[in-house]
Amino acid sequence: MKRLLVILAVFYCLGIILVGWTYINFWIITAIAIVVFVVATLWGRKNWIFLILVVFLALLVGYLSMRNSWVLSNCHIRKFVSYKDNSLYWLNGCIVSQPEFKNNNLWFILRVRQIQSDKIRYKCCGEVLIKMDFEQELNYGDNLTLMGNLNRPPSFGRSQGYRDFLARQGIYLIMPIKDRRQIIRQDKFDGVGLIRGCFWLRVYLEQVISRHLPALPASILAAMVLGQKRNIPWLVNNSMVKSGTVHILVVSGFNVGIVAFIINLLLKILRLGRKARIVLTAICLIIYCLITGATNPVIRATVMGLVFLAAYFLKREPDIYNSLVTAALFILMINPRQLFDIGFQLSFISVLAIVYFYPKLKTLVHLEVWRNKVLKFLAEGCLVSFSAWLGTLVIIALNFRIIAPVTVLANILIVPLATLITLCGFTLVLFGLIYPDLAHFFSLPTAALITMLLNINAALIKLPYAYIYF
Amino acid sequence: MLNFTPEERKVTLFLLGLILCGLVLNNLVKVNCRIERMVYPPIQLAKLNLNKISLTELAATKCVSVELARRILEYRNLRKEFSSLEELKEVKGIGEHRYGKLKELFFIE
Repeated sequence: MKRLLVILAVFYCLGIILVGWTYINFWIITAIAIVVFVVATLWGRKNWIFLILVVFLALLVGYLSMRNSWVLSNCHIRKFVSYKDNSLYWLNGCIVSQPEFKNNNLWFILRVRQIQSDKIRYKCCGEVLIKMDFEQELNYGDNLTLMGNLNRPPSFGRSQGYRDFLARQGIYLIMPIKDRRQIIRQDKFDGVGLIRGCFWLRVYLEQVISRHLPALPASILAAMVLGQKRNIPWLVNNSMVKSGTVHILVVSGFNVGIVAFIINLLLKILRLGRKARIVLTAICLIIYCLITGATNPVIRATVMGLVFLAAYFLKREPDIYNSLVTAALFILMINPRQLFDIGFQLSFISVLAIVYFYPKLKTLVHLEVWRNKVLKFLAEGCLVSFSAWLGTLVIIALNFRIIAPVTVLANILIVPLATLITLCGFTLVLFGLIYPDLAHFFSLPTAALITMLLNINAALIKLPYAYIYF
Repeated sequence: MLNFTPEERKVTLFLLGLILCGLVLNNLVKVNCRIERMVYPPIQLAKLNLNKISLTELAATKCVSVELARRILEYRNLRKEFSSLEELKEVKGIGEHRYGKLKELFFIE
């Protein structure tokens, strides 16, 4: 069976979903899983029996991994803090994210090692979101001692969205820091050198972009090339949500593809062998994934890219469905709760919809026999946009309460422009690093393309019935 | 003499085309300042004009409540227009923290 992995992944996801509907003791499910495993090992000689047992086992493993993700260890920081607790705590730990300044606050995640309350110290684990009211030079890996209250993340009215979003990342507490005296910085560094290097490179590349472009185009390019959305103005983001083109503001498979293409090309020019090229490209993709913050769409694209590279390395034919499912399983094995994350769902369903619907639509309109190349190119773009829109329509309507008929037209016009901007952006960043004087010439066409994109988008959302909120 | 692979040809053409576009735009920006306005995005695409915004648009930003939006517009009508964003602080209900958020959203023209 060519796509056994797809079936296993579907049942693994069903197992995760089942947890929300049923409550069965963890150990009962474990016992059943062991029995199924033993039966599959000993008596699963017939293909169809083996298939049923393995599929059932995948369902149970999905159920167990979701149940297990809910269980916090005894030393988890959440267990030291009671609900509506106003006590003062001392936390000792290291920063595990790149601190980001947004909405006049500095945000970062602290991995806690020690907690102190009422002069008693405990060893503990877990992560806390830190919100500082002022700017301070802090980096990934820095060791800190912080003093303050620990609060639960806020819920806005009936909506638990933000609290759930943080819980999916294993964060249950926020510590607000209002005064510099609440922080004691230690000299020790505790992070992974490679990640620190990647974060440093990201900051440096952001500086390269803002050196050559004004604030607005720089913010858009930083989002498209480096996945940094924090400086994008609210108005731009909102108008792109309305036109259904906000996906161009995140790093996706396309960007990962460009990085792989550029690296492969440079290595080809250096006359490196095929295997060396593939290995070096794979390393560069992992580094790019870390630079962009390893969000769900980037991890998906990177894992898919790595699967394709592995297939070329082993001289085997890659399968798009299997590579997509491998990426999904990679994320869900680490954190099964990501299945309920809207970013995860949109990222995978849009790719799946394109892969599934596009060839069918292409056959339906007999695109192969079209002779006019320009018309054919436009029709292909139209069909890809329509496929993605069709696949994500229900999720977007349910979550954002918006239906945007203008999406298909907007994507036909904006996606090719975004493609050009991304290519120009990568060229600008590369030349900004090695030959800054020449980068100035690349910055003008990039800025002009970004201006054109924003103008088209603003004009499209003014069309009648371009988008409907309900 | 030079054997370009198809990929190398595409990259060379792309780079040369980009430099050509950059040179033309650079020249046009120097001789005509109107071109500069076309190359760089105007502020209207990134921020809302506080002196022209309507109550519905202001409330739709979700940065202020409908009541506060009404107070901002009352203040604007009283003064005919805002002369600087700092004046927002004079509206009841806008402190330093909210002003920090609002100044990223609006501009004055």
